[in-house]
Amino acid sequence: MLEAIDLSKSYNGSTALDSLNLKIEPGEIFCLLGANGAGKTTTINLFLNFIEPSSGTVRINGLDVTREPLATKKFLAYIPEQVNLYRNLTGVENLEYFTALAGGKYSRTELMGFLGEAGLPEGAAERRVGEYSKGMRQKVGIAIAIAKRAQALLLDEPTSGLDPKAANEFSELLLKMRDGGGAILMATHDLFRAKETGTRVGIMKRGCLMAVLNTDEIGHADLERIYLDHMHD
Amino acid sequence: MISIIARKEFLEMTRDGRFRWASVIVSVLLLAALLLGWQHQNDVRRQHEQARRHTRQDWLTQGRKNPHSAAHYGVYAFKPTMPLSWVDRGVDPWVGVASWLEAHHQNDFQYRQAQDSTAVQRFGELTGATVLQLLLPLVIVLLTFGAFSDERERGTLRQLLSLGLRRPDLALGKALGVAGALGFLIVPATLAGVLALALSEQNGALLADGGRILGMTSSYLLYFVAFLGVSLAVSAKAPSSRAALLTLLAFWIVNGLVAPRAAADLARLVYPAPSAFEFANKMDAAMKHGIHGDETPEQRAAALREEVLRRYNVSRLEDLPVDFGGIRLQAGEEHANTIFDHFYSDLWTTFRRQETVHRTLAAFAPVLAVRSLSMGFAGTDFTQHTHFAKAAEEYRREIQRLMNGDLAEHGKTVQGPYLQDEALWSKVPEFTYEAPDAGWVLSHQASSLVLLAAWAAAAAAAAWRAAATQRVD
Repeated sequence: MLEAIDLSKSYNGSTALDSLNLKIEPGEIFCLLGANGAGKTTTINLFLNFIEPSSGTVRINGLDVTREPLATKKFLAYIPEQVNLYRNLTGVENLEYFTALAGGKYSRTELMGFLGEAGLPEGAAERRVGEYSKGMRQKVGIAIAIAKRAQALLLDEPTSGLDPKAANEFSELLLKMRDGGGAILMATHDLFRAKETGTRVGIMKRGCLMAVLNTDEIGHADLERIYLDHMHD
Repeated sequence: MISIIARKEFLEMTRDGRFRWASVIVSVLLLAALLLGWQHQNDVRRQHEQARRHTRQDWLTQGRKNPHSAAHYGVYAFKPTMPLSWVDRGVDPWVGVASWLEAHHQNDFQYRQAQDSTAVQRFGELTGATVLQLLLPLVIVLLTFGAFSDERERGTLRQLLSLGLRRPDLALGKALGVAGALGFLIVPATLAGVLALALSEQNGALLADGGRILGMTSSYLLYFVAFLGVSLAVSAKAPSSRAALLTLLAFWIVNGLVAPRAAADLARLVYPAPSAFEFANKMDAAMKHGIHGDETPEQRAAALREEVLRRYNVSRLEDLPVDFGGIRLQAGEEHANTIFDHFYSDLWTTFRRQETVHRTLAAFAPVLAVRSLSMGFAGTDFTQHTHFAKAAEEYRREIQRLMNGDLAEHGKTVQGPYLQDEALWSKVPEFTYEAPDAGWVLSHQASSLVLLAAWAAAAAAAAWRAAATQRVD
């Protein structure tokens, strides 16, 4: 579903991403681990076609994103570290706007249903987003992804700054979407969540994907040890 | 897609307290400006009507006197108030609205409101044109400076573009959203204006001036499109909202405050007009010695005498069947007329050239184009002022011809002073003036309209391009 082939990106000679090869199938959660500047966000931006690759190919559902920037986005949902919404609109109005722009037409009841599915508390949907907590905004982000029936999810540190309960709820939602056949790429710093929710984890350093591990084959402690080994030079 | 974006932009704006306040203030100012303008115009029209009746009455009832005395007595010609002049008073306050038509002189226009105003008033005058040309662009800037930069700074742009949205659609949607919000301010005022016109004293004014209303409305719409396009383009390309706001405010100041002043100074510098004193002096000299300064009044008098004696085939003035005094007066008029035509046509050519400078500079500041068009369609620009001035002068000459002709024909038939009465006075038709129609205005304003349309098109294209190529973050 999500595929990077020999993908590189450099800015003025400095390499941000170096020959990344990655393939994420439906029903899989791939967690990218790494320090800041390791190339995680660059990878996600390349999938979104927000930046042009220096070399290599990015594909979503078999389509090249640089050639079909609009078609490939139909399969995608993107949830950044901070889901940004329009503060003067209510939660449900924000959802309506984003889904309408993605080409979806839903009744009010259906929209409320998506927000409920994403775990937004009753009554919050009709309040203006300006008063929302970060966790609530992330849930609206999830609702947008659900409503879009996205087959591929790109998540950029979506749980950082969430309290443990909210982060846990978020992970539950991800697992549900995975079970629904979604291919999920998540950049994160949270080793624990990566191990818990990820199917595979990849460790990145200075633009290179150093290692890929199956999470059911290693324990928490192993993951942490391997991660730290890679971080030391 | 575009309508969804437009609707959301509009919804967001209406929930923004700043917009609500701004719109209340602008609406109040706009309505106040139009109301004051309308009231002023009605006052002026009533006064003109009264004065027109009086000047005619005075002319008819001036009593028995020599026709040349009557020509000196004179009449006033009043420039009719144009139906849309309450939106834009144009040059009227400076060039005056009435001219005294008397023997021997082509008088300047009098009753210039600017003479009675303090310098402060000159800048602070609230007219529909000020609000439309200065205030509304400022509102457009304030509504749109953050259109893209704000979304980029808040991160919503990333999310919007991750949805698979065509970027120019976003620009168009935003433009329409702002246009909708502006419509809330402008449409009620426009409707009120049209309604006021329909209700005003001049019957059929609305129908007769449909072309002018359409022209003025289109001009302002193009102007707003230009501002909207520039604002969106800057917002898409500026490094931050702050930078976008500063850039746009600078553009607004240069366009609205600096450019008109600079254009006026430049026009005066390139095509200097003579001072009133200098103009009058030169004209006086030409009156005496001819345009080329190679003749004397005595020579002219002798030549006329020769010519008239030859025409009537007599050798002495006493033998003429007509009154030589009347002929001499008319000859004097005609001599003066060639001088007036020469000097005024020079002066007006200079003014027209100055206007051309303004219109050309509209390539750098759209306000110069819209100002010219607005005055043009309001009927208060200098071109239409001269159109009226020429008609008034034509009428003055007509009076002189009639009076002098009567004097020449009948002056000799009586012993003693030759006197005339209302029978002659009423042969002078009442002064009527037909203002040019919208097509005439358009033909004189074509370059401004083309430039303004070019501004709107270029700004829209720039917004389109900037939106398509802007950075995501």
